[in-house]
Amino acid sequence: MKLGFVGLGAMGRPMLGHLIAAGHELAVWARRPEAAAEAARAGAAVCATPAELAARSEVVFSIVTTGADVSAVAFGGNGLAEGFRRGGVHVDMSTTSPTVARELAGRYAGLGVDWLDAPVSGGAAGAQAATLAIMAGGEAAVLARVQPLLATLGSRVVHVGPAGAGQVAKACNQMVMVSAIEACAEAMRLAAAHGVDVAAVRQALMGGSAASRMLEVMGGRMVSRDFSAGVEAWLHHKDFGILLGEAYRLGVPLPIAAQVWQQLNALMAQGWGQDDTASLLRVLESASGA
Amino acid sequence: MEVGFIGLGLMGRPMALNLLKAGHKVHVWTRRQESMAPLLEAGAQGHASAAEVAAQVEVTISMVADAPDVEQVALGAGGVAEGARPGLVHVDMSTIAPAAAQAVAARMAEKGIAMLDAPVSGGEVGAIAATLTIMVGGEQAAFDKVKPLFEAMGKSVTRIGDSGAGQVAKACNQILTGVGVAAVAEALNFATRSGVDAARVREALLGGFAYSRVLENHGQRMLDRNFKPGFKAWMHQKDMRIVMEEAHRLGLALPAAAATAQMFNAMVGSGLGEDDSIGVLKLLERMSGGAGE
Repeated sequence: MKLGFVGLGAMGRPMLGHLIAAGHELAVWARRPEAAAEAARAGAAVCATPAELAARSEVVFSIVTTGADVSAVAFGGNGLAEGFRRGGVHVDMSTTSPTVARELAGRYAGLGVDWLDAPVSGGAAGAQAATLAIMAGGEAAVLARVQPLLATLGSRVVHVGPAGAGQVAKACNQMVMVSAIEACAEAMRLAAAHGVDVAAVRQALMGGSAASRMLEVMGGRMVSRDFSAGVEAWLHHKDFGILLGEAYRLGVPLPIAAQVWQQLNALMAQGWGQDDTASLLRVLESASGA
Repeated sequence: MEVGFIGLGLMGRPMALNLLKAGHKVHVWTRRQESMAPLLEAGAQGHASAAEVAAQVEVTISMVADAPDVEQVALGAGGVAEGARPGLVHVDMSTIAPAAAQAVAARMAEKGIAMLDAPVSGGEVGAIAATLTIMVGGEQAAFDKVKPLFEAMGKSVTRIGDSGAGQVAKACNQILTGVGVAAVAEALNFATRSGVDAARVREALLGGFAYSRVLENHGQRMLDRNFKPGFKAWMHQKDMRIVMEEAHRLGLALPAAAATAQMFNAMVGSGLGEDDSIGVLKLLERMSGGAGE
């Protein structure tokens, strides 16, 4: 299949590789020439504009940083929308707000172009191993058309609902995940303040009801004090800004998420935004004189 | 002074009336024409646009709902900037984000129009009684020119600093009143559910370190179960959202404000948004298994 790809960061690069390895004909557009050159070496054609990319592709994937970035790629000058033929599909795998996803789906519908919001969970490791969890919002028939492509990127694809529903699921994912990181950090901090070996506490907990993926991975980072990013914490900070904005709009109380958001604000203020979100432990330490 | 007033809602109407009462010549425009009637009866002159108002006056004042409205009134089609005479000072007394206030003021400055942000505290009661607290951001000269008008509408008038500083002070005010209202509601509900007379608790606390205006005024209204606004919960929710967005932008931890903002979200979501924000007491009662009527 002739496919397009936009967004060659830590997530996008391995995803592009999987699609090429599956035998598809890939083209990319990238803002940075170095990123385009690297994609060319991996076997992708390079287009000068998103419009050019869309004109030669049946399906275009994007995975960029913010909703504004997706909107610009899709409907900015020389955007994808100018190039797509009727029946083209834009699969956006970025994390944005449900509102942005619904708006873009609506604008594409007027052009006869199909849309899926398909954000992912699993991080760079999941992208490399093609084991991402993919949460799709959009029409079932559209998802069915791209399902084989998504299957080369992730091990689990769930159709959550109409356009925007994928982003709703992703917001829920971020809320549960980062709140769990905060809970791990608080447990590690409490154990350390008691003078108890945090590694032993984590090991003991992993055998019981408190076992979780976050305790395993992020708890492990906290124990070894490895704060180098995995996922840079500012991305989670950004996500919490979005999801608490949605909570405001909908009149939904999210008391725990609101507190985690404040800890993320403190993390940003202390200059750890480029580090891993395990740094939430350092926020607690700095607030308790540790 | 010839002064223009744009936005004649719950707050704007009594504020404009107080300007008339103080002997100023007031020109008005508002989106909903029928809102102008009480002002016209009191002697104000009505106009067909904000630009038309601006062409007649030395100072224009806006009191509207949110940032897009503030921008529209100042810079939109038929807005103040289109009609402004040289030397006009434009004052926005709405509550919006500090960054939004600075952005509008900067664009007005490019057109040679000085702008003040001058949000208020004191609610409808304060607006009627001309006892508002007015917090002002902008240049000293513009402030000095408008000060007599502020004094006709409020009791405590303070220039906090440069453009946006008034809105920063208002955000601080909303943190204190929002968290304060929630704290008073929690304390009174705690007393009641402990089987103690909440009215006597309030009475006792008014003499000590827990004294506050919120305990005095809002606390009394909670005891009276008078949830009529006043200041609607959805407006406080909006103001807390401004606070939390600024905290996000600045990297500030505001855990108490964050908790309070979520309580206002719950109020709006559960149909209490049109109550006064003291209706947070009902929410707490419901959360604790009470009727919360």
